[in-house]
Amino acid sequence: MTDILIEARGVKRGFPTSGGEFWALKGIDAAIPRGKLTILKGRSGSGKTTFMNILGALDRPSEGDVLYAGKSIVRMSEKQRAHLRRTQIGFVFQSVALIPMMNAQENVEYALRMARISKNRQQRALECLKMVGLSARARHMPQELSGGEQQRVAIARALAHSPKVIFADEPTGELDTLTGLQVVKIFKDLTEQEGVTIVMTTHDTSLMEVGDAVYELEDGEVIHGSV
Amino acid sequence: MIRFVLRKMLSKKWMVLALLVGNILLISITAGNPMYTRAVLQRTLTRNLETYLVENNAYPGLVTFRTSSSSKDGALLRQYEQGARETSERFGVDAVETADVLYLTSAENELLVPREDAEDKNISIGMMTDLPEHSELVAGEFYSSDEPGEDGVIDAVLSERALMELNLLLGDEVSFPEVLDPSGNPIRIRIAGVFRNRSSDDIFWVRTPSSYQDVCFISPALFESYFLQGDELEYGVNASYYVLLDYTAMRGDQAQQILSVADAYRAEFNGRTIQNYRDNFSTVLTDYLEIAKKVNVTLWVLQTPIFALLAAFIFMVSRQMLEMEQNEIAVIKSRGAGRGQIFTIYLLESLILSVIAFAIGVPLGAYICQVIGSANAFLEFVRRSALPVEIHADALLFAVAASLLSIVAMVLPAVRYAKTSIVGHKQRKNRRSSTPMWQKLGLDFLLLAVSLYGLYTFNNQRGILAQRVLEGASLDPLLFVSSSLFMIGAGLLMVRVLPAVVWLIFSLFKRLWSPALYASFLRVLRTRSSQGFIMVFLIMTIALGVFNAQAARTINQNMEDNLRYTIGADVVLQESWENNGMQVAEDPSLELLYEEPDYGRYTALKGHGIEALAQVYVNRSATMSVSGGTLRDVQVMGIHTKDFGETAWFKDSLSDIHWYNYLNAISQNSRAVLLSRNFQTEYGYELGDTINYRNSSGDSVRGIVYGFVDYFPGYVPVTYSLGSDGLYQEKQTYLIVAHLAQLQASWGVAPYQIWIKNEDGSSYIYDFAEENGLSYTVFRDSDAELVERKNDPVLQGTNGILTVGFIVVLLLCCVGFLIYWILSIQSRALQFGIFRAMGMSMREVISMLLNEQLFISGLSIAVGALVGHLTARLYMPLIQLAYAASDNALPLEVVRYAADDIRLFSVVGGMMLLCMVILGVLISRMKIAQALKLGED
Repeated sequence: MTDILIEARGVKRGFPTSGGEFWALKGIDAAIPRGKLTILKGRSGSGKTTFMNILGALDRPSEGDVLYAGKSIVRMSEKQRAHLRRTQIGFVFQSVALIPMMNAQENVEYALRMARISKNRQQRALECLKMVGLSARARHMPQELSGGEQQRVAIARALAHSPKVIFADEPTGELDTLTGLQVVKIFKDLTEQEGVTIVMTTHDTSLMEVGDAVYELEDGEVIHGSV
Repeated sequence: MIRFVLRKMLSKKWMVLALLVGNILLISITAGNPMYTRAVLQRTLTRNLETYLVENNAYPGLVTFRTSSSSKDGALLRQYEQGARETSERFGVDAVETADVLYLTSAENELLVPREDAEDKNISIGMMTDLPEHSELVAGEFYSSDEPGEDGVIDAVLSERALMELNLLLGDEVSFPEVLDPSGNPIRIRIAGVFRNRSSDDIFWVRTPSSYQDVCFISPALFESYFLQGDELEYGVNASYYVLLDYTAMRGDQAQQILSVADAYRAEFNGRTIQNYRDNFSTVLTDYLEIAKKVNVTLWVLQTPIFALLAAFIFMVSRQMLEMEQNEIAVIKSRGAGRGQIFTIYLLESLILSVIAFAIGVPLGAYICQVIGSANAFLEFVRRSALPVEIHADALLFAVAASLLSIVAMVLPAVRYAKTSIVGHKQRKNRRSSTPMWQKLGLDFLLLAVSLYGLYTFNNQRGILAQRVLEGASLDPLLFVSSSLFMIGAGLLMVRVLPAVVWLIFSLFKRLWSPALYASFLRVLRTRSSQGFIMVFLIMTIALGVFNAQAARTINQNMEDNLRYTIGADVVLQESWENNGMQVAEDPSLELLYEEPDYGRYTALKGHGIEALAQVYVNRSATMSVSGGTLRDVQVMGIHTKDFGETAWFKDSLSDIHWYNYLNAISQNSRAVLLSRNFQTEYGYELGDTINYRNSSGDSVRGIVYGFVDYFPGYVPVTYSLGSDGLYQEKQTYLIVAHLAQLQASWGVAPYQIWIKNEDGSSYIYDFAEENGLSYTVFRDSDAELVERKNDPVLQGTNGILTVGFIVVLLLCCVGFLIYWILSIQSRALQFGIFRAMGMSMREVISMLLNEQLFISGLSIAVGALVGHLTARLYMPLIQLAYAASDNALPLEVVRYAADDIRLFSVVGGMMLLCMVILGVLISRMKIAQALKLGED
């Protein structure tokens, strides 16, 4: 039996709309295996980002529970959840979300600051940038980097503080195929070499094979899951 | 189109509201200025005319046409009459009364029943229009008929005084052998009545009835038909035509026209030496125009920085709004909208705003005028008679101009943005924030250099400046401009320097900063261009606020200090002393002796209004021999050191050591004197020297110099007086302070002043004077004179405008600040989402914002206060010249009230707090997931 890091049980998420409650997630059960690359697949609007936000303790489900290493993150206080995000979780967002007033290296270092890691920050940051192949551009500001480069900095930032798990929302969405493949390659290496758990969403079917586990979502439900 | 614009405005309601507030303020201030100026000047004019009435006991609206001597030229008389009849119309002011007084040259006459005591008195026959209406009879009756009686005798009336002077009796008949009626018979009159004026304050009586000492008035119609027919008159006639114009209806804006009409009359009627036309208001109006010019310039100049600030505010807000709408503009453009259409959208929007602002701003301006009108000192309001504020064409014109300006300020940025397409916009967005234009150009250094050069030149020309102010000119507007430039320059320089300071703090403790503080420091340091404007704006507003407050306080305090110092004590008075002057005049060998009034009456008031009092002998005409000649007009003061010290008003800062030490020093020796400093500097006197000085009778007193003083209560070291060449000249005054007892021993007891320190207010002294029926030859009440001074329109307007300016600054600060921060939060929603996702707690996010506040707003506010203080310190000594009169004795002290600073900072602090609360609510409502989604757009 595979080692499960995160487990979702009957997760529902509704949003109030003018026409009554809209259910983005209609009861999802899923298990994220530790040290593997899990892919959440689905068309835009299928609920995959909502689901991932809940898994990453950014959002709370309306119903259901999420267990992180056996503990319910739904019942945690906001402060505890912030602590969890800070120390155990890294995020890579679809919109390249670097902090605009910091250069690449500082962006990565910032994750270390957040995690209250004060030793060898610079060294670790450069190391992470090297991992994503950007050590040469450490001093560049986000605006001076291309989309793919920015995304790679975001990945470097996400893994800087050695999180247990990285959530990546459409990390390849705005990249060309080649760069997209590069990013996925980095993820794959990370799971294999560093033992990091990675959850990423995508609508790109060509990337499906690289996932160790794949969940396909449609209309807020898992229509196909393989672990 | 309009619907689109309205929908767009609704969606940005907060920004639109801020723009509206800015517009309303701009328009109300611009429209308010001319309304206020005119109202305050109107009040001044009316008050000056009333003062004329009180001081000269003559009706200010009086116009007189008078023949220079008796004339037989009938045409000329009619020309005078015509001139008088047209007066009201030509001046454009209603007449309240008119009176024609004509009389024949007094002629020899005979009493029907001769009496010895009534012989040899020449009597004049005259007429006065409306005489019966304004008189009452003491005896007898008025002339009732316009024809002579059946016996050919004409009824006449005369004043009580004339009755006595001419020794006539009621019923006497007088015939004039040399004055014939049209049929050639001598005129005969009967004294039918004796009149006096009906009430003593009837303005009709330009000359009192008793001034007509030899005139017997007959019916005007009769007078005319007998003596005024044809161009060649039989007898010489003295004519005076009086027109009393309603001076309360004279308006300030008519002054120029009234004066030119008066000039036209003078040209028509007056010769080189004779003045047949006279009026009472020309001098008042001429003075008024001088004041008006000064008030106008001063008020405009004081308001200019406020206008600039308001315009900058509108520009800033509309730029911010456009910044938010960049996307929309770009999208609209890429969908094919022309630049013209975008321009129209913004033009429409600004038009709508301007129209609303106009509708609200103009009446608000009128209201603000009322508020300023009741400003007594800075931020102090008193209830006084309401200002005659009216919304007039000028005010509307200014308001329209202001609206146009704000439309330009709103549309101009749009034009710039309309040029960029969506691609350009994205490119711009990705560009690194560059150094702003002004920094590259070194605008800050340039402005500072210009303003400091101005300051330097003005400081060098200080004497000339003071001179020109004394001559009635208003202060050079360039001086004010220079101070404003200094404020802007210093502010910009600070904006340039501040990041370095922040950087220093940041790098010094780099290891200590929490992630939140680290991020906020980086933001402050690296996104300078977006904060540049709010920083400049905050610095400017605070600096202007501080400067305004200090300017107002300095002007008021120095005025008050000078007044109190020159008077010397709260109340200074001198009773009229009885003396034997009459006997001395007859027998010069006698000594002039005075009878000293009872001083004990005043000592008895101690504890009943008087806190302390002192006898002070003041002689301003003593002489003293010095090397190289004789000093005249030396001011000698005889004092009682202890009483004087307790009573006199003196500011400790005027002397290095406390002035009591000087008093103590001379109390050691009965011959000890204090000299003014100029004795030392001009004539080389030293401590311990012996001096001899004399009063006007030549009695000499010896004194030993115990000290030199720069200032002493009631002593004005330098006075300015108008020289024969029309220029103001500086005149040194020399002072000798001696013991009263010493002076009285040598010069005898002469009238001295009583200086009084009030317990609380001076009303008791008026009661006391009234009860005892006292009259004073010297009476000065500091409190009363202070009130008088504060009524000066320049001072009043200055206080009003500075107060309103201060309030506007506070408002702008509030609105501008809130807008900036709310926008800044909104535009950074994604960033906060990232921070939160990375595990930053809410508290940390808030501490991050607090830190940003501290380093952007906090620093700006501190710097603004600094710049304001600095500007006041540098420029106030010069600006104050405009308000200082010739009696400015004391050195200027820049006054700063802690209360003003507290007021300003508590408002700003409260605002920041409010801002933080709003931001807190905004942030805590912000869902991370939502924030991130927002970022995806």
